[in-house]
Amino acid sequence: MERRNSETALIPALQVLSYFIIALGAVFMAFKAGSLPASRWEPMSAGTFPQIIFFGVALLCGVAAVVEISKQGFPRTSFNVAWRRLIALKAVIINLALFIIYMMFMPVAGFIVSTFLYLAIAQLYLAPKKPITLLIAIFVAALFSAGPYYLFSEVFNIYLPRAQW
Amino acid sequence: MTDAFLIALGGVTEPYTLLLMAVATFAGIVAAAIPGFTITMAIVLTLPLTFAMPPMQGISIMLSVYVGGLSGGLFSAALLGIPGTPSSVATTFDAFPMARQGNPGKALSLGLFASFVGSIISIAVLIVAAPPLALLAVKLGPWEYFALIIFALTVIASLVGDSLIRGLIAGLIGIAIATIGPDPLMGRERFTFGFEILTAGIPFLVVLIGMYAMSQLLSELEPTKSSGQHSSGSLISGDMRPHLWQTVKDIVLKPANVIRSSLLGVFIGAVPGAGSSISNLLAYDQAKRASKHPETFGKGEPQGVVASESGNSSTVGGSLIPLIALGIPGSPADAVLMAAIMVHGISIGPRLILDHPDLVYSMFIAMAIASVFMLLIGIILMRVFLRLLNVPKYIIVPVVLTCCAIGTYTLNNRLSDLYLLACIGAVGYILKKLDYPLAPLVLGVVLGPIAETNLRRAFQTSTDWTLFFTRPISALLLTLAVVSVVYSIYSYVKQRRLIAQRLAATSN
Repeated sequence: MERRNSETALIPALQVLSYFIIALGAVFMAFKAGSLPASRWEPMSAGTFPQIIFFGVALLCGVAAVVEISKQGFPRTSFNVAWRRLIALKAVIINLALFIIYMMFMPVAGFIVSTFLYLAIAQLYLAPKKPITLLIAIFVAALFSAGPYYLFSEVFNIYLPRAQW
Repeated sequence: MTDAFLIALGGVTEPYTLLLMAVATFAGIVAAAIPGFTITMAIVLTLPLTFAMPPMQGISIMLSVYVGGLSGGLFSAALLGIPGTPSSVATTFDAFPMARQGNPGKALSLGLFASFVGSIISIAVLIVAAPPLALLAVKLGPWEYFALIIFALTVIASLVGDSLIRGLIAGLIGIAIATIGPDPLMGRERFTFGFEILTAGIPFLVVLIGMYAMSQLLSELEPTKSSGQHSSGSLISGDMRPHLWQTVKDIVLKPANVIRSSLLGVFIGAVPGAGSSISNLLAYDQAKRASKHPETFGKGEPQGVVASESGNSSTVGGSLIPLIALGIPGSPADAVLMAAIMVHGISIGPRLILDHPDLVYSMFIAMAIASVFMLLIGIILMRVFLRLLNVPKYIIVPVVLTCCAIGTYTLNNRLSDLYLLACIGAVGYILKKLDYPLAPLVLGVVLGPIAETNLRRAFQTSTDWTLFFTRPISALLLTLAVVSVVYSIYSYVKQRRLIAQRLAATSN
């Protein structure tokens, strides 16, 4: 059995955790599928196929967890290592948060305003802090917020969300 | 048949369509040339632009992006030494050294011409192979179809990742996602938990954009160990003349390499899951083995560039064989093409070629024309692509994420799809970090409803479940599925043992 330090054991530990979470979710969904009403027109009801799939997911997750643990032991990692790795992903997390806020804000503020704000903020966060990058970011934000809106409405007759105020 | 061909020819060769195809080919090359931006992403983002077009025009444009994209990775591979897409990894082995030796123009023109020849060979094979296979596929019953999808899933899961079991889990999760919403036969609502957002199910394209495009873009923001190494300043300069005559002579006078690599690419493209990234490496490897001077490979050998580029570009024709003949996409990019055809109200499957021969012919013609565009645009605009490789990440990532949001919204004009996109993108990124391959998941979402429909149809026809094992084609396909899983486990164990032996040998 190979021994791993807490740095290299982080991903295997998270993988084992993911197997448990996915398996639990799959078992719950399989029982949900079983409670779907049967059809008198066909031998397989609407719930049979999903039930097979969800039980399959749970089974495979169980096998994966057993194989992983029996091969290399339970991966031991520490909270500090996980935290350090998470902090290293700061740019990803902030951008994902910005994108989620952008998605939630779009129905209210409309496509043009929300896209302009999102593009400007995301670029300014990621770009090197120089005056020229500010100008580029504002230009790109204006181009890609108003541009697609008018392209889709004038050329394709598809209207992107408008502001609610 | 001739009528359908002429209708297709007339439709594709309309000047406006040709102009759009040229722009799309250019866009495909640019997209694939930018590291971190994949061909699938480019095709997904083109889809909303084609909604308002006639089917023939829309599909032609998306195929142009596909064909352009398969050769675009060459630019960053040759000039930066990093593959623009996973399908041009082997291209870097010889194209980059050749460019560093002061011949970037020759490296690019060799790659472009090899891509062109590879595409044309693959289209020829597609034209010959797809119609008879489709005629055979019409005779398949639900038992065979269900078995075929099971086989496709096992192949996909075993080919795309490090771990077969995580590949299978991802594939099944994809099928499970597709069961949310109305069931495909009776329309009964499933797993919505009272949320209106889930009533119509989770659209396949939203899953694809979230899982593939968003997770990949977010990964681009991760800190890299070699950050700064590939700054724009490291672009190669030198003789940018294409040396066309020399290039044509290099390829035409030694046809064995380009033909072998292209046929390998077609075959690999036709196997579900094994895409251009595998054919690129395999074609290169085969060329090296067959060469009389393998020691020159990796040091700027022209035949290495030819093999890798014809190998990846020829997968496009191969991967369309199961799509056109059976209605089964072999890769996420093909799944988007399938979705595009379905968005235009055309049902895909073995009857596609019988019911819409004009559309199928237009696909063949569009691919051939796009290959010519790819060659011409690539050679004429070589210097422009040099500049485009310099677009910084801080512009690309947010802009493409915005394009993802536009693509998702315009699909159904539904704001709720945007919330789904954000959730799926976040989940996709987490799964990617945990080393779950996402291609089986995406294909599971496409193949799941087909599998369920055929399984239930089979039981509606007869309650005898042994038919899956007693009907010869169904039994053969299920056997192949088992063989595929067993073989994957065997090669995985063998590979681990080899690595362990090598590690032991080096430590001694």
